[in-house]
Amino acid sequence: MITVTINGKKIALNKPVTILEAARKADIYIPTLCNHPMLEPFGGCRLCLVEIEKMPKLQASCTQYVTDGMTVWTETEKVLEARRAMLEFLLINHPLDCPYCDKAGECDLQDSTMQCGPAIGRFKEGKRKLPECYDDPIIVTNMERCILCSRCVRMCSDVQGAHAITITNRGSKSCVEPFSGGRFDCEYCGNCITVCPVGSLMSRLHKHTYRPWYIEKEIETVCSFCGVGCSFVAQIRGDSIVRVEPRPDLGLNKGLLCVKGRFGFDYTASPSRLKSPLLQKNGDLKQTTWAEALSHTAGKLKEIKEKYGPAAIGAVASGLCTNEDNYTLQRFMRSVVGSNNIDSTTGFFYGPAQRFLEDIFGQGVTLNPMQGIANSDGVFVIGADPSAVAPVLGLQVRAASRKGIPVVTVGHMPGLKRFATCSLVPDAFSEPALLNRLISGLMKKRPVCGENEFFEGAIKKFMLSTGDDIADPCGLSNNDIERAVNELDLMTNPAVLIGRQVVQRSDASVLLLQLSVLTYLLNGRIYLISELPNDQGLVDMGCRPDMLPGGRPVFSDSMRKRYEDSYGSEIPSAQGMSLMEMIQAAHEGNLKALYVMGENLLPDLPDTGYVKEALSKLELLVVQDTLMNETAELAHVVLPACSWPEAEGSYTNFEGRMQHVRKAVHGEAMEGWKIISEVAKIIGSDFGFLTVVDILAELTKVSPIHKGITYAEMDGGKCLWPYNGEPLRDSAKDFALPDITLLKRAKDCGRPYLFADQQLFHSGTIGRNSSALSMLMPASYVKVGNALSEKKSIQAGDVAGIASGIKSAELDVIIDPDLKGMMVLIPNILADKGVMSFMKWNMNPDFKNPALDGNEIEISKLRSKAEEVSA
Amino acid sequence: MNILLKHIEYPGSTELKGYCESGGYKALSKALDMKPADIVNEVRRSGLRGRGGAGFPTGMKWTIASMDPKKPKYIICNADEGEPGTFKDRPILEKNPHLLIEGMAVSAYAIQAEYGYIYLRGEYPQAKEIVEKAIKDAYSAGYLGDNILGKGFKFHLFVYFGAGAYICGEETAMIESLEGKRGQPRIKPPFPVNEGFLAKPTVINNVETFANIPHIVEIGADAYLKIGSPESPGPKLFSVSGSVNKPGVYELPMGTTLREIIYGHCGGIKNGKELKAVIPGGVSTPIMTADKIDCPMDFVSLPRYGSMLGSGGIIVFDETADLLKVCLRIMEFFDHESCGKCTPCREGVGWLVAVLRRMSTGSGNPGDIELLTEISKNILGKCFCALGDGAAMVVQGFLNNFRSEMEAGIGGQQ
Amino acid sequence: MKGPLENGTLKSVPECGEKETALMPALYTAQKEHGWMSIEAMEAVAGALDIPKARVKGFATFYDMFGKKPVGRHVVRLCTNVSCILSGSEELLLRLRDKFGIAPDETTPDGRFSLVAMECIGACGTAPAMLVDNDFYEDLTTENIFSILEKYK
Repeated sequence: MITVTINGKKIALNKPVTILEAARKADIYIPTLCNHPMLEPFGGCRLCLVEIEKMPKLQASCTQYVTDGMTVWTETEKVLEARRAMLEFLLINHPLDCPYCDKAGECDLQDSTMQCGPAIGRFKEGKRKLPECYDDPIIVTNMERCILCSRCVRMCSDVQGAHAITITNRGSKSCVEPFSGGRFDCEYCGNCITVCPVGSLMSRLHKHTYRPWYIEKEIETVCSFCGVGCSFVAQIRGDSIVRVEPRPDLGLNKGLLCVKGRFGFDYTASPSRLKSPLLQKNGDLKQTTWAEALSHTAGKLKEIKEKYGPAAIGAVASGLCTNEDNYTLQRFMRSVVGSNNIDSTTGFFYGPAQRFLEDIFGQGVTLNPMQGIANSDGVFVIGADPSAVAPVLGLQVRAASRKGIPVVTVGHMPGLKRFATCSLVPDAFSEPALLNRLISGLMKKRPVCGENEFFEGAIKKFMLSTGDDIADPCGLSNNDIERAVNELDLMTNPAVLIGRQVVQRSDASVLLLQLSVLTYLLNGRIYLISELPNDQGLVDMGCRPDMLPGGRPVFSDSMRKRYEDSYGSEIPSAQGMSLMEMIQAAHEGNLKALYVMGENLLPDLPDTGYVKEALSKLELLVVQDTLMNETAELAHVVLPACSWPEAEGSYTNFEGRMQHVRKAVHGEAMEGWKIISEVAKIIGSDFGFLTVVDILAELTKVSPIHKGITYAEMDGGKCLWPYNGEPLRDSAKDFALPDITLLKRAKDCGRPYLFADQQLFHSGTIGRNSSALSMLMPASYVKVGNALSEKKSIQAGDVAGIASGIKSAELDVIIDPDLKGMMVLIPNILADKGVMSFMKWNMNPDFKNPALDGNEIEISKLRSKAEEVSA
Repeated sequence: MNILLKHIEYPGSTELKGYCESGGYKALSKALDMKPADIVNEVRRSGLRGRGGAGFPTGMKWTIASMDPKKPKYIICNADEGEPGTFKDRPILEKNPHLLIEGMAVSAYAIQAEYGYIYLRGEYPQAKEIVEKAIKDAYSAGYLGDNILGKGFKFHLFVYFGAGAYICGEETAMIESLEGKRGQPRIKPPFPVNEGFLAKPTVINNVETFANIPHIVEIGADAYLKIGSPESPGPKLFSVSGSVNKPGVYELPMGTTLREIIYGHCGGIKNGKELKAVIPGGVSTPIMTADKIDCPMDFVSLPRYGSMLGSGGIIVFDETADLLKVCLRIMEFFDHESCGKCTPCREGVGWLVAVLRRMSTGSGNPGDIELLTEISKNILGKCFCALGDGAAMVVQGFLNNFRSEMEAGIGGQQ
Repeated sequence: MKGPLENGTLKSVPECGEKETALMPALYTAQKEHGWMSIEAMEAVAGALDIPKARVKGFATFYDMFGKKPVGRHVVRLCTNVSCILSGSEELLLRLRDKFGIAPDETTPDGRFSLVAMECIGACGTAPAMLVDNDFYEDLTTENIFSILEKYK
């Protein structure tokens, strides 16, 4: 125990902390500028100098640690004089353009000067002159105001790991700059803006549009972009979001955000925002009344059900929608329609991956707290680059790497390149061979322990049957693999992160089994890299063809009965159609009606042409969404739902954390759950949902895992799996081994093959409706590596022709030297040139999801950029 | 006395052959037969204090570093001699490179360091060539390498060529620079002896400090203590410049008076002029008036005369010197060399320059002397490292000792 | 310029250092090849050493010896600190200006010389002094400085 006395107040501490921390614990104010709770102590601004007895000089309280018996004074004349002196120094070159500066009112320098500054400055010479810089589309820099606290640079390099900005020059000529001197060309997380104490780094999006005191209200809510579920404060003025602000003490992101979360929220104010219901008349969508739209929907659904039976109706839920919306849609399908035909794109990866792993290890095996990653002793990542698709999750991996923890990555992962101790990029589709080598290498070093006899038996059987592939080089050297095995062997309780690409392929079950084996051998904890804000919630709400709410299998009579009793209707015992099965059924004419909530199927499903044909054959296509989109254009009825900031609800993130999404602004549309309830009511079934509280109440009553959950509990940030509920604890005692013949390595025929580029700046339809994000990445592109670039004589900036057999298009070329072999990457930004529109697919027999391997394509140079300009 | 400037007595000792013939590398051979701890102890008993400026006891530094269990350990030679008026390390680097190499090898053995760097200032390209060649020769002769003199000791030495940043003479800034970062000082603790280069125990000593080591090992601490003054034992290199007849580097016992140096060794003031002022230890030490030249030049005496030994870079000013201009030039130096990390140094020193600049043209404002006093007071004791504090002390030295000359810069008084 | 950097600089990385230890020598190599620290030169170094570009820039601009703009064929670094001023280096600056028409940080129109006013270069005892490229000259006078510079074309 350490006792320190500050201003006569005795403070007892368990461990040595800085004087500043000790003072703050005791509510003693010490002004600071270069210090920030998210950053390491720096000691540069010297504003926090304090007097310590027995020390002749004043000491910086942010870097000086307390010792037992230390006596500190923070308000002596000597200290106050030092503060005045430092502020007078800082204001020498500060422009004092506070009326013009957007930071006014929330400026640390202004506040410190008000509290402890000198009355007047004595510096008479001219101040430093540096023009405000508008070279960047998002970030405006004003170096005259900069006080060189370096918080932005430390944030960028030490926390974000982007190293995009630096201090250039030296001494009083120092400046903060990105490499180019103008454009930042960075990850645009904007975390530098968060920590800037003055108006030097600011968002252009809000430039001169408001002052902090114009903010009418602040609403704590959760981001709507990916499965991490970052918290922030939405600042509202005149019923629109002016800005979102993360806070160091708020949520699991603790002050961090990514580009999508910070800048992308303006999609909610997009011109494509749907405001009134639309009904198709004579082939055109025409504005209509809610009453007509709802009764038409209800009437058609009833008619189709009566005519073709419930199996002819399907519904698409969405990981973009809240638990309340998804639960209500599920309730509607199971109790009103009487069908298990409910799925979503979450069924392409997240749902089946979780189901597979839970079958082996038990329910909830993938739901682990995020901070466990940075605190683990190893990280293994495969299938997605978390720093692109779930950026704040990616930061955890980077933080682990900075601590010196081994990080092994498999696959093309540009965002983790500098953070992986071992970065394995095998030939395309040879991941199973690579994993086999890693597993067999690891088993030689650490034999199985006999803890789970059944699973270990399966491992042995599996390894025996795949022995032939041991020597497969998978495009890597033996050395690389050996090194990876050694790195893995250092781990005793690592985090295993699994992403989309291991599941959207024909041999997905083999890969998942291998990853289970690896996790078992490593004693790892699994994390699924969720790309939508409510992937997990959607699964928990029963929006899967084989699952009821609470993760209960639909084929289990006892479980089904529980819901049947509650809903007062019968639920079919057979599993329903998956999303791709529904599309197939529609194409074959067996599915007649599809209720699509929140998903934009055309750009997000493979083979756009086929999907379009399928949807066009439906007798009823209902699209309930917030934005006009390609799918809605085909709909018979379009029902405008409240957008993310317009309604109350909750999301469940990839950790299984339920978080409260709050209504921040008013919308002209109707809540998603309410639309469905209204349709149900017209059909003759009243759910009795007046507010989301009623939905949560029903959920907590019927779902065994969601017992007793309240929004108040979510607000406390502690609503974590397994809540207060009853998870299914049993792990399977038997499961079918995947078909190991699939393990035979896909032949690399030397032709280019197509993958989706994981985009940091965009997230499907909602991202491209954000003008901020579209400024950063306005157009689609095709990315190739050096090998392919040489083979096809394609240079950066050229225009290439891409043809996949079902689709061809022209795209600008980007060369990515880290891209291996014949890989071609296209993002899914623009609908007409999105990667999915090129993709052919096969139904994966295990998961009924689309397998996207085998997408060989043609790529050729059409013309160089220079030609285009001259022409 | 030519312990450090061996080449004066043995002109051939710049080359390996001549150096060995004049008794070179005997200390290394002797040291490798001793226990490392005994060498550390001997250096501690010798009372050797760092010759870079701060005068920290070398033996104590070594003791802490050798007790730290982390491995590998590093040894760095501070050859970033950048302070105006200081050029004492140059003759060692250019004329006696093997003395430095031997000193570093012995030191490395004493603290069991495996790797060493000579952080050489970027303005010494000729020294770089000479030292690099000497290192190559020392490798071939077995004085450096994996198995030095066949006695199983491994030590590798590299030259790291700086690029013009005075602040890199500060040891933590030097480490940052060596690690490929901007040369800004680090928070201490941890000190480099525990967490230095690559967070490993690191001993950083000045060129001259290392050059003392072979002699201490050879003659023993007791004999070494007989040189110089009791609190500051050993020989010291003084680099004298400015208005003296014979400027240059002089190796003299610690405690030699300024008078003896200026009027004895350097042949008095140029052109028969009168002495006006002396900066005794490089421009970061406060200027002294002519009446104080009976001060012995050592670590303990100079503070009593209102200055510091610093690097021993003596700058002599005669009666014609414009000290206001000198003060301005020195402040410009500090302003240029400030790393920019902390507020008082970055902003305050620039302000001092602005005020001195207008004064130097005779257009200072009434109250500028008081302003200079205030600014320097507001800098002093509040900076992150010693650079800004040094600048403040220097201005105060000029204000205290040559106030009327400074006042001449105030416009209204002319 | 990536080739020589990869082959030249990376070889000189000391065995005991992290890759960052190579940054300073790599920048020297780049400057030698390129004349000054252009964006391209820094980009090449960052690529060769796999160090973030902005870090390279922050580092390179911190140190005086790395040029922030194009320079002439020869860089004259004349010391202008205290001891050299006491011995007349200000006069030399004026003479250089008269003869070549350049002030510090300027380059002659023919691209022959760039002039830099240096902080102390450690030749106070033999002041005034200058560095021309990597050659050291001391005890300069208003006469000998021009005969020295005559050697640099």
